[in-house]
Amino acid sequence: MSYQTIAIAGLLYILAMPVYIVYILTKSRKIGYVATGTFCLGAVIHIFGFVQRFREMYEINHSFLRSIPLTNLYESLVFFVLCLVIGYLFIEWRYKKKSLGVLVSIIAGITISLIDLLGISKQVQPLVPALKSNWLLAHVTLSFISYAAFGISFITGLLHIIMDSENKKSFKYIFSTFLLGFMLFMFLSVIIDTTTASNPKTVKIFHSTLGNPSSFISIISWLFLLILIFISWQYGGFIKKILMNFKIDADFLEDITYKAIAFGFPIFTIGGLVFGAIWADQAWGRYWGWDPKETWSLITWFVYAFYLHAKFIRGWKGSKISIIAVAGFIVTIFTYLGVNIFLSGLHSYGSM
Amino acid sequence: MSKLNSLNEKIWNFFASVDLAVALFIVISISAAIGTVIPQELDPEAIIRFFSKFMSFNASMKAYEIVNLFDLNNVYHSWWFIFLLFMFAMNLIVCSVDRLPLLLKSFKIPPKLFDSKILEKMPLKREFESSLKKDEIFEKLMNILKRKHFSVSTFNTDNSIQIQCKKWSKTRLAVYLTHLSILIILIGAIVGVFFGFRGSMNIIEGTGSNFAISDSGKPISLPFEIRCDKFEVEFYENSAMPKDYRSYIKVIENNQPVKINGKDSFIIEVNQPFTYKGFKFYQATYGFQPSEHSEFRFTFLDKKGKEHQIAAHFEEKFKIPETNVVASVVDFSPALGVDEQGRLFNMDTNMINPAVLVEFEQNGKKIKQWILSKIPDTWDTPFGKLKFNELWGAQFTGLQIRKDPGVPLIYIGSILLCAGLFISLFLRPVQYIIELEDRKVTFFYPSLKGVVLREKEIDKIIQELKEEEK
Repeated sequence: MSYQTIAIAGLLYILAMPVYIVYILTKSRKIGYVATGTFCLGAVIHIFGFVQRFREMYEINHSFLRSIPLTNLYESLVFFVLCLVIGYLFIEWRYKKKSLGVLVSIIAGITISLIDLLGISKQVQPLVPALKSNWLLAHVTLSFISYAAFGISFITGLLHIIMDSENKKSFKYIFSTFLLGFMLFMFLSVIIDTTTASNPKTVKIFHSTLGNPSSFISIISWLFLLILIFISWQYGGFIKKILMNFKIDADFLEDITYKAIAFGFPIFTIGGLVFGAIWADQAWGRYWGWDPKETWSLITWFVYAFYLHAKFIRGWKGSKISIIAVAGFIVTIFTYLGVNIFLSGLHSYGSM
Repeated sequence: MSKLNSLNEKIWNFFASVDLAVALFIVISISAAIGTVIPQELDPEAIIRFFSKFMSFNASMKAYEIVNLFDLNNVYHSWWFIFLLFMFAMNLIVCSVDRLPLLLKSFKIPPKLFDSKILEKMPLKREFESSLKKDEIFEKLMNILKRKHFSVSTFNTDNSIQIQCKKWSKTRLAVYLTHLSILIILIGAIVGVFFGFRGSMNIIEGTGSNFAISDSGKPISLPFEIRCDKFEVEFYENSAMPKDYRSYIKVIENNQPVKINGKDSFIIEVNQPFTYKGFKFYQATYGFQPSEHSEFRFTFLDKKGKEHQIAAHFEEKFKIPETNVVASVVDFSPALGVDEQGRLFNMDTNMINPAVLVEFEQNGKKIKQWILSKIPDTWDTPFGKLKFNELWGAQFTGLQIRKDPGVPLIYIGSILLCAGLFISLFLRPVQYIIELEDRKVTFFYPSLKGVVLREKEIDKIIQELKEEEK
C-alpha cells in the first residue's frame, strides 16, 4: 500500500537529520554526500509512494487527469511535504549549502510520521462529482507547489528575523519567538487533539487543550502556552547561535525568502486563482463567488503582493520584510487548513 | 489657479503612491476576511443566532445593528467595499500613468559612465588579474558577453575601459502588463454585474420551464424552453455519496426542439455545462419531489420469455400481460433498508435503493411483494419476472443558469496577469559594470538583490575568460 511506502520515506528524512548535523560539525565532504544521499533516497521513495497512490486512484477513477492523489488532507499533506523536499534539494544544489538540511529534514520527517501515526484517513476515496474534472490536476498541484514555496520562505523568513534581532525587547524578536512558541504549542496540541478524539473525522483543533470543557485543563493549557512562549523568548538567542554555527548568514536567508516567494507567487496566481476561477466557472457557473476558500486565497495573494511592492518599490530590507513573508505563510496555512476547519464553504472536501 | 494646481497635484500624488496601494492591500484583505467570518445572509435571525454563540442575546442584538449599519452581512456587495475596489482601480491607473513614461524615457537615455566612487560603494565586487593585455581581454570579454546575450556599452577613459552590460532590462515593463490585466479583470466583473445575470431553475423530470429565478429572487423569462426528459443519479456502491448526476434536456423554441450538430437531446452534468444563445446551464442540485404525473416503470418477462414494458401511476391498477393478474403500486421507498430486527425502513430521500411494494390480485386473492430495482432476486414473482426500472418524474433537476458577457474579458485578463507576473518575476533585469585597467579586471554588481546567484554568474564569466586565455 502506498502509505506504507510513504512512511518509509518519512523515516529516511528523520535519519537524514543527524547526518546533516554531523556534516555541519565535521564538514567532511563524504558525510555531506551521505546526508544528501539519505535525504534524496527518502525523496525518491516518497515519489514512488506518490506514484503508487496515483495508481490506486487510477484503478478507481480510470482517468489519468482525475487521479491525482490530492483529494483529502492526508494526500495533500504528503504532496506538500514532497514539494518542500524537492524545493529544498533544488536550493541545496543551486546554492551548494547544506545547512538548511537539518531543519527541512526534521520538518519533513516529523510531518510524514505524524500524519501516518495519527488518525487522519489514509483510505483511497472515490471522487464526488464536483471534483471530477480535468482541472483538478492543474489547479490542485500548482496550488500545493506554491504553498510549499511559501513554506520555504516562511522557514527562512522566521530564521532571518530571529537572527537579525539584536535585543530581546525589539518587536521583531518578540514577534518571532512568540510565533515559534505558539507553533510548538499548536503542534503538541494537534497531536493530543487527534489522539484523544473519539472519531478521527471530527478532530477539533485545541479541543483537548485550550478549549477543553474542563476549565482546570483549559487553564493549565493556557499556562503551558505562556510558559512555552516565555521559554522560546528567553532562549531565542540560542537559536541564533546555532544558526551562526551552521554558517547560515542573514543575506542568504533573505535571498531564499525572496526567491521562494518570487517563484511561488506566479504559480499561486496561475494555479490557485486563475485555474481555480476557470474550474469554478465550469462547475458552479461563476468564476468568482466570494467562497471562503476563494476569499482567503485572494487575501494570501494580497499579502504576497504587499511583500513584493514593499521590497521593490519601497525598498524594504532586512527582517522588516521577512515579517511580511512569515505573515504571508500564516495566511496561507489558514487558506489551506483553517478555512476547512473553521469556516464552511464549497471546498469542504479537504476536511480530516 | 496655482492653488487649484497644487490641490490637483496632491490628489494625483495620493493616488500614485505605493503607500495607498499597500494600505488598500491591507484594508481590502481585512474586509474580505470579515466577510468570511460573519454569515453573509440577509436574514437578521441568522446573524443574531451567529453572534449569540459568543455573547448574550442583548449584545448580539447590538452587534446586529452594527452589522446592519455597515452591511457586514453583505460585505462584498456593500457600497464601501465597492468603493475600496474603485480606489484600488484608481490607484492602479494613476500609479501606472505616473511611472510608465519615466520608465520608457529611461530606456532612451544613453548610459553614462559610472564614477569610481559610486562603483566602490556597490555591494558586489570581484577582481581578477589576467596575463593578457587590456585590448586582448576586452575582445575576449566582449565575445563572452555577446554569447550570453548581454547588450553592451563601453566607455574609454584615460587609463581604463568601462563596460556596462545589461540583460532583460525591458522586462520591467511587465509590471504594467500585470496592472493592466487586473484592470481588465475588474472591467470584466463590472460588465458581468451590469449586463449579466445568474439564476436557477428546478425542472421536474418530464416537464419543461421557460423562466428562471434570479439570485435576487426575480423571475426572468427565457426566449426558449428547457425540457428535462430524464434525470439520473448514480451512487457509489453501498453509500449515499453520489458518483454522477445528469439531466437529459431538450431546448424548445417556437414549439420545435432545437437541433445543434444534428442532435436535439443534450446532457448536462456536473463540470459539463451546456450553452445556448449566450445562456449557460449548469448541473447544480437535484431532489426528490413525487407528483401526480410520476410513473412507475416496469419490465415484465412473461413465461415465454417475451418482454413487456409497463408504466403505471401510484395506486393505479395495471394488468400483468398474458395473465389474469391485476397489480398496483401501494408503497414506494427511495432507499429501502433493513434494520437490525429485520424490519424495513426508509434510509434516505435520495434514490439510493428504490423499491416498490406491489399488490397482486388474482381471483380475489391478494399478495404483496417488495420489488427492489437494484436486487434482481426480488424481481421474481409467482407470475413471472417483474423488474422495477425506475420511478420516472419524481425527481427534479436543479440547474444554474447564467449569462455573463464579461467572461471573455476575465479570461483575457487572467492570461495577461499570468504572463506579466512570470516575466516580471522570473526574468529580472541584470546589470554588471566591468572595469578594465591594465591587466586588472573588476566586476561590479549594483544591487543586493540575488547577490548569491549573481556572484556565481560573475565567477562563471571569469572562469570562461581564464579558459580562453590558455
